Amino acid sequence: MKTVSEFLKVMQNIYEPIPVKIQKIQEYSESVKLFRLAKLDGSAFPLNEKGLVFMPGQFILAGMWGYGESPFGPASHPNDSSCIEIIVRKVGQVTSAFHSLKEGDELTLRGPYGNGYPVDFFSGKDVILVTGGCGIPPIASLIEHIISNRNDFGEVHLLYGATTPDDLLMKDRMNEWRKKINVVLTVDKPACNWDGNTGFVTDCLEHLKINPANTVAAMCGPGPMISAIENLLNPIGIPDRRIFVSMERKMQCGVGRCQHCVCGDKYVCTDGPVFNLDEIDKAWDK
Amino acid sequence: MKQVKTLKEKQLNVFLSQLGEKAQLFDVRESVLPPKRYFFPSQEITFTFNKKSKEVKTAKTSKNFILFGISLKDLEAITYLDEIMQKPVKDNFYFNKRDKSILIGLTGKEFGVAPGGDIILRRLESDEYEVVVVTKKGEKLLKNLDFPLKEKDRVEYEISKSKTMVELHELLSDPELLHDAVKWSWQGYSKIWDRLAGECLNCGICTYVCPLCHCFSVEDSVDLSGDECRRCRKWDACTLPEFAKVSGGVGRPGHSFHNGVKERYYNWFYHKFVRGYLEFGKSQCVTCGRCKKYCPAKIDIEEVLVDIVKKYKKIKRTQE
Repeated sequence: MKTVSEFLKVMQNIYEPIPVKIQKIQEYSESVKLFRLAKLDGSAFPLNEKGLVFMPGQFILAGMWGYGESPFGPASHPNDSSCIEIIVRKVGQVTSAFHSLKEGDELTLRGPYGNGYPVDFFSGKDVILVTGGCGIPPIASLIEHIISNRNDFGEVHLLYGATTPDDLLMKDRMNEWRKKINVVLTVDKPACNWDGNTGFVTDCLEHLKINPANTVAAMCGPGPMISAIENLLNPIGIPDRRIFVSMERKMQCGVGRCQHCVCGDKYVCTDGPVFNLDEIDKAWDK
Repeated sequence: MKQVKTLKEKQLNVFLSQLGEKAQLFDVRESVLPPKRYFFPSQEITFTFNKKSKEVKTAKTSKNFILFGISLKDLEAITYLDEIMQKPVKDNFYFNKRDKSILIGLTGKEFGVAPGGDIILRRLESDEYEVVVVTKKGEKLLKNLDFPLKEKDRVEYEISKSKTMVELHELLSDPELLHDAVKWSWQGYSKIWDRLAGECLNCGICTYVCPLCHCFSVEDSVDLSGDECRRCRKWDACTLPEFAKVSGGVGRPGHSFHNGVKERYYNWFYHKFVRGYLEFGKSQCVTCGRCKKYCPAKIDIEEVLVDIVKKYKKIKRTQE
């Protein structure tokens, strides 16, 4: 059955977004910016039954009147009800319009939608987080959640790769993360002052000491990265049911109706966006 | 003997003109497009936003309207579409119009239980109709109309069989089998999808004329002054090349998650006969026959499904 957030049931119109203010813009590169969004009156975003603004891995639809809406996995701390942060890469019409805005301007917001990573299932286990480039936001919110509940989880490793050191996002938050979890960064093309790893995230994974019987993996990244990680984890005893991936699809409605995000039997917007690899492998159009 | 209300064929025009005085009347008897378009139009402005006043206006229909002449199969489709638009959350734009509508069906003798609608005119043997009141809304309309309907003894007729897509109509009584067969066919009978991929023209007509297809896209625009933004909901079609495509960035082509005609055309069947069954326990087809009639490539979905089911059953038998 489709997952529907409680908030949707009380909404006057499920498609009507709320206006939000851009409180802060942080420029990571020419094509990537972080937007911190807050309510116009400064009030808090509503909390779900777990007391969080969203579940790590859930997504919101951010939009701009006259341009449209696009899905984003928030990167902010799910406990922080004062803001929702999204990271936007300039790729299409909507994201280019976002990039033309400045602090104080307004955007619109709907959501959160979808399921999120199964954090309750993760508790008590070691967690391997794997992502690349712009895939970091939902993983970042998951890390914040893990750090806030650090004793609930075992060993936690973040493997984060990008083309160049400049393409690694959220480095400003990593010093805090490093105090609580193992952070491994890697790039394809190192710069002269780069002291991290060189190569793919898969190379870093091979160097980790893992207790496979009690380990889960959470990912957000492109298909080839997911397959490569799957091919490493399966043989050491981490099966598809313990590997969770956030899927990307075109979306318009967010509520399982418009059909753009379908993936076999599943709707990425309501059944996902997080699936275990077993569910994905069984879809005819994975 | 139970009494029924009847209306003479020659009184129909007067009846219709009186209905037209009560509310805007649309005669859909000869319509190529299914009645869904009155609740879910091919294009509709859903929101307008004024950049200066920052006011968001939501589109609303305030007047009642009557759809006259809906076939039994289209009535069945509207009932199903109501369910689709209701679950898991209510589609406001659809129900804003649907709630204002009064549906009058027009059928031959055939029908057991009314599949939907508010009133159904059922053609009797002679040149007259039985006026079947289905809902309170229909009852209220007739009461307000005060049209002199004659009373007559009820005559029972045998329910006649579907006149379009007879074989598919029979298959639909086992949506689980259709689910299993269509799901199996992607790998088990991929030849048929290769063949259909060569025939399908990617035009989307089958989805536009389908009384149940409901996928849509949302498009924003700004007027010439630059102040008034409009959000428009439009019919989309899962068979169109851009349907599942996402942006790829400057100088990059973007990625389509259903890249080929084969994937897209199969997905259309998959929605109707696999996901439809998984979500609602029934296939999303009422055998109205429009997709076959208006397909410029002359693809006959009944023929396709009968073929797939036949092959599937044969494979099953040999496996047992």
